[in-house]
Amino acid sequence: MIDEFQHNEETMSQTKFNVRKVAVLGAGVMGAQIAAHLVNAKVPTILFDLPAKEGNKNGIVLKALDGLKKLKPSPLSNKDAVGYIEPANYEDHLHLLKDCDLVIEAIAERMDWKAALYHKVAPHLGEHTIFATNTSGLSINKLAESCPDSVRPRFCGVHFFNPPRYMHLVEIIPCVTSDAGMLDNLERFLVTTLGKGVVRAKDTPNFVANRIGVFSMLATIANAEKFGIRFDIVDDLTGPRLGRPKSATFRTADVVGLDTFAHVVKTMDDTLPGDPWHGLFKSPEWLQKLIAAGALGAKTKVGIYKKDGKKMFVFDAASGEYVGGGQKGDDAVKDILKIADPAEKFRQLRASEHPQAQFLWACFRDVFHYISYHLADIANCARDVDFAIRWGFGWSVGPFETWQAAGWQQVAQWIDEDIKAGKALSGAALPAWALQADRAGVHFADGSYNAAGQNLVGRSTLDVYQRQLAPARVLGEAAAPLGETVFENDGVRAFTTGDDILVVSFKSKAHAIGPDVITGLNTALDIAEQRFKGLVIWQTEEPFSVGADLQSMLPAFMTGDWAAIDATVRRFQETSMRLRYSQVPTVAATQGYVFGGGCEFAMHCDKTVAALESYVGLVEVGVGLLPGGGGCKEFALRAAQEAKGDVLAALKDYFMAIATAKVATSGQEAQEIGFFRKGDPVVFNAYELLYVAKQQALAMAESGYRPPLKVKGFPVAGRSGAASIKGSLINMLEGNFISQHDFFIASQIADVMTGGDVEAGTLVNEQWILDLERKAFMTLLQNSKTQDRIANMLTTGKPLRN
Amino acid sequence: MVKQVQEAYIVAATRTPVGKAPRGMMRHVRPDDMLAHVITGALAQVPTLDPKLISDCVVGCAFPEAEQGLNMARIGVLLAGLPNTVGGITINRYCSSGINAVQMAADRIRLGEADVVIAAGAESMSLVPMMGNKVSLNPEIFAKDENYAIAYGMGLTAEKVAQQWGVSREDQDAFAVESHRRAIAAIDSGAFKSEITPLEVTYRTPNLETGEVISKTRLLDTDEGPRRETTLEGLAKLKTVFDAKGSVTAGNSSQMSDGAGAVILVSERVLKEFNLVPLARYVTFAVKGVPPEIMGIGPKEAIPAACQQAGITQDDLKWIELNEAFAAQALAVTRDLALDTSKINPHGGAIALGHPLGATGAIRTATLVHGMRNAGQQGYGMVTMCIGTGMGAAGIIEVL
Repeated sequence: MIDEFQHNEETMSQTKFNVRKVAVLGAGVMGAQIAAHLVNAKVPTILFDLPAKEGNKNGIVLKALDGLKKLKPSPLSNKDAVGYIEPANYEDHLHLLKDCDLVIEAIAERMDWKAALYHKVAPHLGEHTIFATNTSGLSINKLAESCPDSVRPRFCGVHFFNPPRYMHLVEIIPCVTSDAGMLDNLERFLVTTLGKGVVRAKDTPNFVANRIGVFSMLATIANAEKFGIRFDIVDDLTGPRLGRPKSATFRTADVVGLDTFAHVVKTMDDTLPGDPWHGLFKSPEWLQKLIAAGALGAKTKVGIYKKDGKKMFVFDAASGEYVGGGQKGDDAVKDILKIADPAEKFRQLRASEHPQAQFLWACFRDVFHYISYHLADIANCARDVDFAIRWGFGWSVGPFETWQAAGWQQVAQWIDEDIKAGKALSGAALPAWALQADRAGVHFADGSYNAAGQNLVGRSTLDVYQRQLAPARVLGEAAAPLGETVFENDGVRAFTTGDDILVVSFKSKAHAIGPDVITGLNTALDIAEQRFKGLVIWQTEEPFSVGADLQSMLPAFMTGDWAAIDATVRRFQETSMRLRYSQVPTVAATQGYVFGGGCEFAMHCDKTVAALESYVGLVEVGVGLLPGGGGCKEFALRAAQEAKGDVLAALKDYFMAIATAKVATSGQEAQEIGFFRKGDPVVFNAYELLYVAKQQALAMAESGYRPPLKVKGFPVAGRSGAASIKGSLINMLEGNFISQHDFFIASQIADVMTGGDVEAGTLVNEQWILDLERKAFMTLLQNSKTQDRIANMLTTGKPLRN
Repeated sequence: MVKQVQEAYIVAATRTPVGKAPRGMMRHVRPDDMLAHVITGALAQVPTLDPKLISDCVVGCAFPEAEQGLNMARIGVLLAGLPNTVGGITINRYCSSGINAVQMAADRIRLGEADVVIAAGAESMSLVPMMGNKVSLNPEIFAKDENYAIAYGMGLTAEKVAQQWGVSREDQDAFAVESHRRAIAAIDSGAFKSEITPLEVTYRTPNLETGEVISKTRLLDTDEGPRRETTLEGLAKLKTVFDAKGSVTAGNSSQMSDGAGAVILVSERVLKEFNLVPLARYVTFAVKGVPPEIMGIGPKEAIPAACQQAGITQDDLKWIELNEAFAAQALAVTRDLALDTSKINPHGGAIALGHPLGATGAIRTATLVHGMRNAGQQGYGMVTMCIGTGMGAAGIIEVL
């Protein structure tokens, strides 16, 4: 591993690509959000649009920047980012382009407009500037014709998915003149700096993800009509039950906008005349009518769905009217979808006489049919198709993977039969390769099938992927656990990849922290102190941890064995403290939820390496408790260390973070609130987390790591501090903003964080606050209202306000 | 009864325009500078008066710390260029601080121990926030339920008054609209011109490219708070701030503000010696305590007490400056005492004009004196307000 690392360092330096500044042309929905994500990643960005006809000439961009602040979920990952987008217009600021290493054009999807803009900007581009067009379907080679010869080697397509901060996929579409080195540099930047999953696509209409994703929607619509399935039932069946987003099919169309969806369909109609499925590329009549009536989906509040008060209505294509919504799929069909064995599931789906089952089989069949038919034309290999759909449309499993898991031969045979029986949406025959008698699938240990070259294509050898120690996998690729197991119990697996760092992963559901995890983590710490240079807590998948495993406390809770629970909490606290004071550096590599006890463990590590999409909070008040694993203590300590004479002032925001269960919505915001330390790395590509975390642990070890000295005495805000906080709380209580129990919990938190019944400025140590924390935790746990909150969370998964 | 040896007369009264806090036109103006400015402005109204005769300067301020700490009164005296012999004392009873400054100044004269005293008030809510820079409550407040209300925010007490006195949201909003309407009318008619001493303010911004400081000066002569566009419909849309189920909003509460006011009081002897025109005679002052959770009702107790001390009835009052801390409390007081609404805040109140806490008493004294005189009115006028932690104050003067 060390050798390999040095090798990487060499290749990296040869290909170093500095992106000092980026320009985005076009401040529409995509342009503005791409700019936002660039500044999220600390890339200074100039956002261009047309000069406004009146008022400030940058008015169009300024309006777009305002819009960014209001969008939900936020395209901005920290509060300062938007200030680093420099507004500009094509009339006054084109000279600024020369300092940009990358220019992304993201104006409206019109060939003539894009061409006109290229003529205008090309003379201003820097000598080495990469010029990329963000388009969802226009021909990149055609667009390249509008670039001067000198620019063409630096031109390509780059297709972000909406919303670009959250959608992992970016398609890079080379044109014939694109320079290979330039494409590699762009890919490095997209993968590491912006954290995206890159798929290189061929220059065919709609590229890979939209070509298939939109086809899948059209096929679903056609099959729904054929089998007479209501739209709300379609959405119930084609969402999470298939491992796809909650918005499923029709809700997705509403969110995208029915007019936009129709536009994409029209593009397919215009650009894919030879596609055997061409007849399908038409907006259904009912859809055209809705658009004509101004029902465009979420943006007009009425689309396929509409809400009236609290009641949801869904459009019924047969009657042309809205009917009461919320109908679910039939239990019999839902039961089939629950079958774990894919082969059996597909067998039953196809065999069932139930129209909903037949509908689902038809949807799968037509997509399988389509992707196999087109694989050779549109993608470099089957893996790219699966990643494109997973990362661009949010499917948990790609279509080729699904087919392969269900048994390639059997499914291929069924599809073939259906085609011959005229049941499929097209009569086009399956390609010969799909029907090969010895074919077990398209994904294998040594690569995925490329239908054009009739060979297997391995993983990209681009250096940037060496940073992904546990990259996204497709079915059929190595599924063995990473590294060599050093220790394992029911709670954790500790392993090494041979670089002197011990990595600990939790095995529990949602990585909740129960006794096994705590025991395992302590054993891992013992081992790390004996034989390793550092310890990294990293999970094989998100979340980092949802916190303490309340379920595991249930038996003691039921029997009122408070002493046992007290001992558990004490053990939790001791583990937090060990993460801080062990003889080796500790690093928490976080992504997804970092809640409660998970947050406390992360706070106690020497460093956090947070994926951008880390959602961090001490959310214990939701179950009527307070952070009992060192969270209150840690904030009290930090406040004392940060206070310049006024501990209470430094403590207040920390108190509010706990009392209101504030959740940071990015790794950066977690540092702003103070869960994580300012300056700790935030990693944009979650697949690079482990690599960066290990580098941090190694760097600390190699810098002569010593655990911090235990703070002997730090000042607390004391009784007066607690009273001042309660002054605010009483106003919230009397003002009906919080309940009596909220007031009680928050008062307990205030008493703990201010150091208990001592005067302001009194010096205490960490154990003093840990003891207060634990006592308050036990007091709350024995309170019936807290018990109601816990019971509600365990039964419904939702917090109870009482 | 007071053993008064001589009368105290107001011979000068002025104020700054009032700016919005914390982001208004006077956001950078130091309160001690505002104070020096109104002292100078008041003295300019009596050019024949020998400043050496001034014995003291009493200054009200509700949060006398940081920029308005260090005994701002004495600093203001020195910054205004008064002789070293002039004293300075900063006093605090929150919102009545300014009227208490007038009362204390007058009482020094009435007792015969001083002949000329300046009474003033200054407050920058932009620079020193409500509650001050560091709030530290006594833990004993939470030891007993009955002490909780000491910690109540002012808005919450307004909600309690609204509930207890049944003041509706609609009435509060209508009251606020009327306050703005009156204030705008007063501005448009030039009614405030005689009481405001315009203030020149310098705004400094660095030009990061040239390394220069760009200075812009502006002469401020008009209150910033009143809004022409305020409507009932607009106010009705605002969310409540202090009680999720309440009726008090930012729109029917007083505004946070920056400002200062000053009044010069003299004895009869000085009046004659320097041939000064008396604008008003100081009459009396009363303060009364009420439960802290309904502090807004305070004037209901203080107004009758002051009238009784003066030996008049409330009907004898021609003009009442009743500080609109909240529409809820102003309406509750007005209704309970059956005050004549046409006499209350004829030029608008704190909902429109702003409420720079400890300065308000001095500022509204200037409004009362000039307002009555400009309207050709003579006779009794009052400045009254509610006070945090549960008090009401009322001062009476006789405009001559």
